[in-house]
Amino acid sequence: MSDGSKGLSKARQIYSDRSLRARELKAEGRRIIGYPCVYVPVEMLTALDLIPYRSCGDIREPVTEADRALPGSFCPIMRNCLDCALKGKDDFLDGVVAIHSSDPQEKTARVWQSYTDYPYFHFIDMPVTVRPEAIEYFTGQLNDLKRTLEAFSGKALTAGKLDDAIKSHNQQRSLVRQLYELTKPSPPLIRGAELVQIVKALMSLPVAEGNDLLTEVMSEVKNRTDGPTKKGTRLLTWGSTLDSVEIMQVFEANSNVVMDDSCGGIRAYRAEVQSSADPLEGLASYYLKEITCARTFRQAELGESRKDYAGDLQSRFGYLKGIIREWQISGVIMLLVRYCDPFAFEMPSLKDYLDSLGVPSTYIEYDYTLGALAPLRTRVEAFLETIS
Amino acid sequence: MSVDKGKKSINRLDSMRPLRAKVNETYLKSLEAIQAGKPAVWGMLNFYYGDPILKAMDVEVVYPENYGAIAAAMGVAQQYLDRADADGFPTHLCGYSLTTLGYASRMMRELDGQIPPEAPLGGMPRPLFLMSSAAICDARYKWFQSLGRYMDAPVWTLEAPSPGVNEFFIDGYYDRMVDMGVKHLRDFVSFVEGMVGRKMDWDRLGETADLMIEINRVWHEVNELRKAKPCPMHSRDFWSAMPAALFLAGDLEDSLKLYSDMYREVKDRVDSHTGAIAEEKYRLVFAELPPWHSLNFFDKLAERGWNFVVESFGYRPPIPVDLSDISDPLERITRFNLQFFAGYYEDARKQSVLGGAFAYPYLKYAREWRCDGALLHPLISCRSASTHLPYVSNMLMEELQVPSLSIEGDIVDLRLFDPEDALARAEPFEESMSHYKRIRQQKGLDW
Repeated sequence: MSDGSKGLSKARQIYSDRSLRARELKAEGRRIIGYPCVYVPVEMLTALDLIPYRSCGDIREPVTEADRALPGSFCPIMRNCLDCALKGKDDFLDGVVAIHSSDPQEKTARVWQSYTDYPYFHFIDMPVTVRPEAIEYFTGQLNDLKRTLEAFSGKALTAGKLDDAIKSHNQQRSLVRQLYELTKPSPPLIRGAELVQIVKALMSLPVAEGNDLLTEVMSEVKNRTDGPTKKGTRLLTWGSTLDSVEIMQVFEANSNVVMDDSCGGIRAYRAEVQSSADPLEGLASYYLKEITCARTFRQAELGESRKDYAGDLQSRFGYLKGIIREWQISGVIMLLVRYCDPFAFEMPSLKDYLDSLGVPSTYIEYDYTLGALAPLRTRVEAFLETIS
Repeated sequence: MSVDKGKKSINRLDSMRPLRAKVNETYLKSLEAIQAGKPAVWGMLNFYYGDPILKAMDVEVVYPENYGAIAAAMGVAQQYLDRADADGFPTHLCGYSLTTLGYASRMMRELDGQIPPEAPLGGMPRPLFLMSSAAICDARYKWFQSLGRYMDAPVWTLEAPSPGVNEFFIDGYYDRMVDMGVKHLRDFVSFVEGMVGRKMDWDRLGETADLMIEINRVWHEVNELRKAKPCPMHSRDFWSAMPAALFLAGDLEDSLKLYSDMYREVKDRVDSHTGAIAEEKYRLVFAELPPWHSLNFFDKLAERGWNFVVESFGYRPPIPVDLSDISDPLERITRFNLQFFAGYYEDARKQSVLGGAFAYPYLKYAREWRCDGALLHPLISCRSASTHLPYVSNMLMEELQVPSLSIEGDIVDLRLFDPEDALARAEPFEESMSHYKRIRQQKGLDW
């Protein structure tokens, strides 16, 4: 960054002005590719010297332009993302890679492509199961992405370059997990709101700069004296996307948020891409199987002819058990962005699972606007009072 | 416009009636068979992909989507919606899904697996397994997964590719869709064999696939005849006739005969210049799900000279494709299923319309069926049938100067659709249609 800021202040700065660094890089001749969902394999962009830049919504931005293209009863985050694009806030992008990770992502991608004029646009279709033929199909989809990216960039995406990029992004995943280790102590060493800023900054920077930022942040946080104070409840937030400090601050007013299982939190960093003879196959397997988003249809056993509910819940939410134990979670907020069907369907089942673990939980819905903060605050306070 | 008392404003097709009756009869026969011990499957509309497998294996399928519409129309859905709400499902989810979840909750938690006595049309019996589908929207597989709270019925989720318009033409793309589709279907056959305890009769599957394809070819041809002026067949007949093809209802040889009868009747009307309404002033396209509970609304519009000549992409037969040289029935089925979604893509790419399978067809419909306007029906709790409608409206205006009228409704909350309000908006929309007709003519368009 031109002003030399580092660590938490740098993350804060990028969070506040997300495109700042991307615009600097653009001015240096680099090409920036937007992506609206963490299912897009950013390694492939990095390998071709393209800068992945996550196109997020902005909770402070009233949606006006997207109304002409999408109905009101539709994923507010995708409406907000599209709105930003239609207002030219992403005008520095050289292209967009969209993906069929959910119905709103798919529908928005088609409108986005139709109503904008980026030099490059690619839509990846994504299966919903983790069956072998689905992974094979998805690998083919990534191979198509490779071909169009190569044509756009004028460079060959070699296995060596892709391996290097996978290593860099795996390193970032590892560093993020280390960062979240800093929320294990009581009080945690870092606030949930700061984690939101950091993760959003990572999704706005080249991977190497993001890794440097993480290293700086961890060094700073370990030695800080102005860390969070201990509060009565250690919260896990679970949902599709939590990418706004304003929301996180509502939760943290009277609790410590020590884990955010969303795609604005740890979700895209919990696992790593495994090395594979065909790197695209490794990427396909990672993205389809390892990112624990509600959009993927999981079963205790592929093609099972018998089903039991407990096994089913374990296959869908079992990864939370270790998190709850290790981070000593005392309450869970299941945060739903209105009209997000994949997550909405999960709510009763996740509550069943959390009940089976003896962890109190509450389901709260909001519409990704600042106007949602007041009722959100009331619901959170009521929940915290109940469990305390 | 005055209409003679006793005279119907829409001249319904006689050949529609046995097709409509067939769907109800098939449902009741299925229930009887299930009550006699045959296994039942709950299925999601899957566009000719999983259904022919179950048909060939003589498995009875009931469709909770359809049942949700029935429960709403018969006034019993609310108690199921309330139960789903009480069980923690957000109220903005698909209304049909909430109806099913509430129904399952009542059946399994209150009645120990017995069909609720208030359930219309004999209810939906407890299923052996569930066949969901990734086609169209997320709800259609997450909903069946959620039923695991109430019943330990295994779920098979059918994959459904959804390509981008440009990406679809990348070398090898289509073949990979076919490859996945066939492998997936082969595994599905094994799954069904294991569940019902008998083997697939592959000859029978081939015959089923061929009949399915032929029925839809004839059904497609029926709809092509509707391009005539005046249009001989109203959308109400389309909606009455389409379930037999879409859900492979009953005996397929019989369905083929009934659709062929319909072709002859519609052709006769074309030849004699007989329209579906007395005086066709405006030709309209309807998108997407109709207000099932208020279909007589269209009779009122017919009295004003509104003829609905084309409609509902999601219910239409695929554009015919010759699959006779494909020996593997699973591949024929897969290609036919893909044709439903991607059959319009080549044309869409040529027109640079990137809105995908749901949006582009309406441009084709409006142009080829020479529509003066579009009636759009966004649904509060069915986002998959609504999301593309603003895009469709913009596209029709920009490309063809065809205006749209949007009238909101819902699939289960019947109060949201207000026919009186809708009718009050008809007159000003007629002015709009007339205005744009002049604009089109000035631009050299031929209708």
